Amino acid sequence: MLTIVFFALSGLDVLDALDVVDKPSLIEWIYSLQVLPTDDKSNLSRCGFRGSSHIGVPYNSSKGPGAPHTYDSGHVAMTYTGLACLVILGDDLSRVCREACLAGLRALQLEDGSFYAVPEGSENDMRFVYCAACICFMLDDWSGMDRQRAIDYIRRSTSYDSGIGQGAGLESHGGSTFCAVASLCMMGNLQEVFSERELKRIRRWCILRQQNGFHGRPNKPVDTCYSFWVGATLELLDVFQYTNFEKNRSYILSTQDRLVGGFAKWPDSHPDPLHTYFGICGLSLMGEAELQKVHPALNISVRAFESLRRLHEAWRQKST
Amino acid sequence: MCLFFYFRDRKEWADLEPVPQDDGPNPVVKIAYSEKFTDVFDMFRALLKNDEKSERAFALTAEAIELNAANYTVWHYRRVLLQALDKDLREEMKYITAIIEDQPKNYQVWHHRRMVVEWLNDPSEELQFVAEILSQDAKNYHAWQHRQWVMQEYKLWDGELEYVEELLEEDVRNNSAWNQRHFVISHTRGYSDSAILEREVQYTLKQIKKAPHNESAWNYLNGILQDGGLSSYPGLLEQVTELQDTCSSPYLTAFLVDLYEDALETNSSSYDQQETLNKALELCKLLAEEKDTIRREYWNYVSRSLQNTEYITDMLQV
Repeated sequence: MLTIVFFALSGLDVLDALDVVDKPSLIEWIYSLQVLPTDDKSNLSRCGFRGSSHIGVPYNSSKGPGAPHTYDSGHVAMTYTGLACLVILGDDLSRVCREACLAGLRALQLEDGSFYAVPEGSENDMRFVYCAACICFMLDDWSGMDRQRAIDYIRRSTSYDSGIGQGAGLESHGGSTFCAVASLCMMGNLQEVFSERELKRIRRWCILRQQNGFHGRPNKPVDTCYSFWVGATLELLDVFQYTNFEKNRSYILSTQDRLVGGFAKWPDSHPDPLHTYFGICGLSLMGEAELQKVHPALNISVRAFESLRRLHEAWRQKST
Repeated sequence: MCLFFYFRDRKEWADLEPVPQDDGPNPVVKIAYSEKFTDVFDMFRALLKNDEKSERAFALTAEAIELNAANYTVWHYRRVLLQALDKDLREEMKYITAIIEDQPKNYQVWHHRRMVVEWLNDPSEELQFVAEILSQDAKNYHAWQHRQWVMQEYKLWDGELEYVEELLEEDVRNNSAWNQRHFVISHTRGYSDSAILEREVQYTLKQIKKAPHNESAWNYLNGILQDGGLSSYPGLLEQVTELQDTCSSPYLTAFLVDLYEDALETNSSSYDQQETLNKALELCKLLAEEKDTIRREYWNYVSRSLQNTEYITDMLQV
């Protein structure tokens, strides 16, 4: 559920319409999803944020220790979107148990450098590498992961065609390529990890994804959300300016639902929060009027990104 | 319309107090759950709270999964019960097979299948099962991921190249199949074997002749040759230029640009550097103005980059 709240909230932020939201209530609710350290701190490797209250843990908006529960643990995508939502809402993250979140994150990293979503185990792939990178970036603390291992995972996931797959050997894909490139950008390592030659090839793979809108893999149909996944990657690689804005914009707008609003993956299909959000972000990358600019790596508005920067400065000053 | 006998009304469940979801005083996301959904999950939360390990708990997980197969906590709990109650894992394979057939794009169901296969240490049904799923959607990423995991974990490489060729017969544009081709070969004989490499080059050129406007085939050709260098592979330039009249496509033209760029970067003595640069720039212009106009600005950028690289200064020094 928290991921859906993120799409809605960040979407409203990009639309410059956050005043329709009851910010204090939302902040309380998000904090109630934090898996807090218990009194004896025995659950640190399970800390982070839940996606929803579905386990049945009693409501606690991060005021006091956590209630022990065998099956209560955070989910890496929820920790990422939870923190992002708090940042968007202008919260100072003071109720975030940073050390606990980072311990929870470390517990999720595998030997190959990728991440599980939950400590109980799950699939592991580039999506969760990205979530982990976002968490470290937002908490301004890379002790949450072994960066070199994550970098190795990314390199091993690069395909013969220079796109990047979800893991080694897997088909290159617009979503995983975004996750990998954006993660490296947040780490500040893009140019060290890939040679200029390799970056040229990645740019070529990405820019070939444009058909009118963008697709995620060669010979697949286009889909609105790739206007962001691939568009943002191209922006991070400094070549988004060389794409065809007109055709991209036309496509995104053709997937709009005239009756209820929002965007779908294809024209004449049902809109949903994900495609609506990424449709808006795809338009924002092209400088669409009345839309806020989106930070292409962290995937929040530049305005929210700036407030995060200020928060980091305040933290750093405090520690000196 | 079906009548559902709510768990809260069943006498075998009377000892358990249902646990509602608690979103506090200002619930932000109010999902309109059906009564059945609330009933099942209120009971699920109660079981979870007590960490109950019983047959009734196991049965309830199936109900919960039917309502929401993406709830990873339910799947985890089911796995805990499968082990605690020493359940028949062959039966579980049948169960998960049916669920995946119904929801082949769900992450949790594939992960669950992987766990059961690991516990049984038996991959014998997997390749056939995945082939079944791929026959309905030949590009299902989860299916391919599971297939690659099985093959690598249990070293099941035999027959896969044949399977890939079958798929490419059906659809030569199936990018997943081309990727699988690379996967199989790199994990078996490998591309450093020059006989294999030549076989692959010829196979790919053959597929290109059948369908010249196929990015997957061109990406494969480029991919397997890039390490050795496109410009130094014997006969390649000739074979590709030969295709220009009958099998032209933006991918062919881009391939030639890459080949010429490689000749420039390696300062190949078999190529006149100035002439090669001119040809590359000409092709970029062709792409920008005629063959790949959607990427006009990009091809102009490539052209500028070609003119601004170090081998240009090398050229000027000669």
